[in-house]
Amino acid sequence: MNLREVNMTELIVQKEPLPWWAAGLLLGLVQILAVALEGPLGVSTQFVVADAKVIKEVAPEYTAEHPLISNEKYQKFGYGWWLDVGLVAGAALAALALGRWKLRATTVWWRRNHNSKVFTRLIAAFVGGFFILLGARFAHGCTSGQFASGWSQLSLSVVPFTITLFGFGMLTARLVYPKSPEIEK
Amino acid sequence: MSTQVILGLFVGGLFGAALAIAALADPDKIIGTLRLKDLHAMRTIAVFVLVGMFGVWVLEAAGAAHLSIKPATVVSVLIGGALLGIGFGMTGYCPGTGLACAAGGRIDALVTVIGMFAGALAYILIYPQVAVPIERIADYGSVTLPEITKVSRAAWTIPIVVVGALVLLVTRPKPAK
Repeated sequence: MNLREVNMTELIVQKEPLPWWAAGLLLGLVQILAVALEGPLGVSTQFVVADAKVIKEVAPEYTAEHPLISNEKYQKFGYGWWLDVGLVAGAALAALALGRWKLRATTVWWRRNHNSKVFTRLIAAFVGGFFILLGARFAHGCTSGQFASGWSQLSLSVVPFTITLFGFGMLTARLVYPKSPEIEK
Repeated sequence: MSTQVILGLFVGGLFGAALAIAALADPDKIIGTLRLKDLHAMRTIAVFVLVGMFGVWVLEAAGAAHLSIKPATVVSVLIGGALLGIGFGMTGYCPGTGLACAAGGRIDALVTVIGMFAGALAYILIYPQVAVPIERIADYGSVTLPEITKVSRAAWTIPIVVVGALVLLVTRPKPAK
């Protein structure tokens, strides 16, 4: 591919729409609203709910005897499920409103370190996704439900989670993305 | 529609929009932060957590908080954090931002979401034999730091929020010329 044909947004990390303090304040206010209305933010449980619904159709007896997915929590579409549905809609609308909705299959950091090989990016995306959700369930929550909501509520579980999440996250990022691209300031 | 549906869609809609506007739903900003080359996401996450902590304290004092404390099954949480960290460092996505990025047109994020469904399935399959025994090791239950240290939530919240805010203020990036 001719480099000139590549959009500049694919070569330089685009500047954030909001300064860090305003961005963090916005997210913090959403967390406060969530805790005031129904319950803290969380995302990953619903992946198990979706799978559990399918497994129940395919293997009802296995589901009924399973110590996890026989639990009513994993068999209903409640607040958490609709939170994830809302998340997808809200993110799509915000990306459109910001003029940042764009079909693409790789990232600036990936391009800088692994050229423009989209196929390898997609393989890494799948394997990464597998580890993300497997890990989130062992931890009883992800970066939303365990990390952000855990610190907000000062749970004991957030302390060990924070150590391994960022320790392994930083180590893996260092191995996968050794070279830094240009970052718009 | 039940209240649960409306509240979920409302809170989730705001959360998804906030993730996109805050640029946390941007794998390049996340990898930049994990590589300590672009601290926007790290500072944003720090403010997110400090504001949330302050607000939850006020809500709890007013008797208006709906808390959900995760069990501190220490070994299981350490393993989970490590696995999630590996996926996070590979992709720049986590469950929330993966969904948000897929909604923003990122095909690789959509593939990560598919990988997440596979990861959830693997967890269900190994849960009885693998996850249950691990969860029994060093299980401290659904406790908070104020409960286990026998001090008030205020005694934890005020110092963390004040020190955190001061650190963010002192280390704030200089405006671009």
